[in-house]
Amino acid sequence: MNSSNITITLPGELRFIRLASKIASNTASLFTETRKTEAENWEFAHAFELAVSEAFTNAVVHAKKQAAPQPVTITFTLEERKLTLAMRDSNVPFSTRTPSPDPENYPENGYGLLLIRTVMDTVTLTRENDTNIITMSKTL
Amino acid sequence: MPQPPLRHPGNHNNAMKTLIAIKEQHQSWVRDAFPNMHPLLLPLCNKPFIEYLIDFAILAGSREIRLLSDGSLMEIEEICQTGSRWGVELTYANIRPEDGERELLHKNRKFCNGSRTMILNGYTFIDYDKRLDYRVLANHSATGPIASCSTGSIAFAGSPEPAADDNPLPALRITPLDSLRSCYHIAMQILETGAERYVLPGYGSEPGCAIGRNVAIAKTAEIRKPVSIGNNVQLLPGTIIGPMAVIGSNVIIDKGSSISGSIIFDNTYIGEQLEIEGRIASGNTLIDPESGASVAMEDPHLLTGIHSATNSATLLRKTIHALAAAILILLQAIPVIILYPLLRLQGKWKNGPITQQAGLAETLAARLSLDRFPLLPKVLLGQLAIIGSAPRSNSPGCRPAVFSYAEAEDWPVTGSDAAIVERYHAVHSTPFNDIGMTIKALINRPHKRNAGAAA
Amino acid sequence: MTITETTGSTHTIVTICGTLDASTAPDFRNSPAIADPSRTVVIDLDKMDFLDSSGLGALVGVLRRKQEANATILLSCMNPPVRKVFDITGTCKLFHIFDDTDAANDYAATYLRGR
Repeated sequence: MNSSNITITLPGELRFIRLASKIASNTASLFTETRKTEAENWEFAHAFELAVSEAFTNAVVHAKKQAAPQPVTITFTLEERKLTLAMRDSNVPFSTRTPSPDPENYPENGYGLLLIRTVMDTVTLTRENDTNIITMSKTL
Repeated sequence: MPQPPLRHPGNHNNAMKTLIAIKEQHQSWVRDAFPNMHPLLLPLCNKPFIEYLIDFAILAGSREIRLLSDGSLMEIEEICQTGSRWGVELTYANIRPEDGERELLHKNRKFCNGSRTMILNGYTFIDYDKRLDYRVLANHSATGPIASCSTGSIAFAGSPEPAADDNPLPALRITPLDSLRSCYHIAMQILETGAERYVLPGYGSEPGCAIGRNVAIAKTAEIRKPVSIGNNVQLLPGTIIGPMAVIGSNVIIDKGSSISGSIIFDNTYIGEQLEIEGRIASGNTLIDPESGASVAMEDPHLLTGIHSATNSATLLRKTIHALAAAILILLQAIPVIILYPLLRLQGKWKNGPITQQAGLAETLAARLSLDRFPLLPKVLLGQLAIIGSAPRSNSPGCRPAVFSYAEAEDWPVTGSDAAIVERYHAVHSTPFNDIGMTIKALINRPHKRNAGAAA
Repeated sequence: MTITETTGSTHTIVTICGTLDASTAPDFRNSPAIADPSRTVVIDLDKMDFLDSSGLGALVGVLRRKQEANATILLSCMNPPVRKVFDITGTCKLFHIFDDTDAANDYAATYLRGR
């Protein structure tokens, strides 16, 4: 099986977060394999649902600082057992220097990247030609 | 590790529940000593700590067990899952650091459901004996604690059944697991009392000798009982293992070394001619369990002072590697010229896993290891070795190479266990051996890929 | 997401149905018992199907403000996808978490009477 790509562009608005994360979890569900347990299949879909919710929120919250909301493009690359997802937006860059928050201080922000890094196998953040690209992948 | 399922003798109409509550404050010493290990997975005689608690809960007649922590349980959840491996139902929940037994019961009221509940509270070792029937203890003990120590307790909630006869309840002792010293002594005690008392991993044709899978023991290596040896272990000629040695998984004990009264944790390489007595060795760290003192080796990979290769040897190695690369380039040139445009056309060159539906060209390319062809010229330039560590590894002491020793040895290529093999050969292999290893890598690689695809 | 509040004499039960993320967190923060820092609440999560870091951040912020005003949040009936977010971030130890809403209610009542 060759790899196949699916690309979806959504307006960078808060109300589309749920749609974006549901698209991701449904795409991940395509990977359901009979030899995996139900729990493992569920966890795989939930990982993408959570990671996209975090990344999309990040892109959209930054977009609010700009004049007009910028669209967000999500590309899924499906391989035999691996799903790779790249999210592109043209907003201000990610802040990657923030350390993981210490719960003792009751922080209200900063958990997003920690969650993505925990549930995904690989995560890379890059910026090319004024476009932020977050690429994440997970193997079932 | 394979676990024989524990069976419940007789009928089990009682629905005793078990709450296992473990708090971060009691485990902080494990986090300090072994930062990459979840404290519930701390191996005691090659069996993760949490499994002893689960075994005891089952012996006491529980089929539903809930694990509680004020820290993360995700790693444990991934390993233990729903508990079906033990024939129990395992669930997970969180507590606060200051919660006492009353809060634990209240917060898990639905789970306890008014049944008799055993609370295993704290980071302690329960000195159980699998031959005893702890259901008697669980059903008849008065409400409240039945055993306690500085780091925890065993307690019961819910009303007991009246005792039917005067059978004495089996005695239970619990030991605090509060330091490297206690971890060492408990592991040694388990090794000494052995599989008669505890459910232990590994197979042994005789008592006091448990050996895991894929263990290579040299003819001249000597095993002195009692020992427990994990999976993927190599004991080289002249080694003496035991008495009282716990060897973890993915371990190599090099020539002439002896291990006694010691614990070698997973993913450790013990160099040549070393005498390890009364120690814990983990990775590049050697620990004295009595004083808690630890020494981290300067060379990150070797627990010994093996001398690094001299310059002349390096030159010889480079020359031989370059020659081997040149021969390989000549051999692979023709298939590359034929197959490269074909694969390029299909977009299959170098990326993507080789799948079952792979075309003939693709299979052929994989069998001939053509994916490594672009790396070979770097060997001619002396930038890479022909064989050494995996191409991407760049940690100190590694020799980045086109092929890795792990591939040649058919070991899993990812993870730290591969690194162990690579370190070993990086020290021992002569330039001429390297040629043999390269050929082995060429033969083994396609075989491994096919196995991976079929799995 | 829908929020239902059931107000008792000592505290309020807040039932959240659906998703708590960046798009619904403002509605959550504005719900009366949540917005009142001195009101102790039991939040029933049985019907919450998804939580992300924005939703979690809202919960942690509300907890802090309530604790400063001598009140608190008790959580009940957490589903696995929700518990995972608390677990990874280490915020699980900040909250009182119950597997049963009635038990959380009883605890809230005694907890508040005890002070």
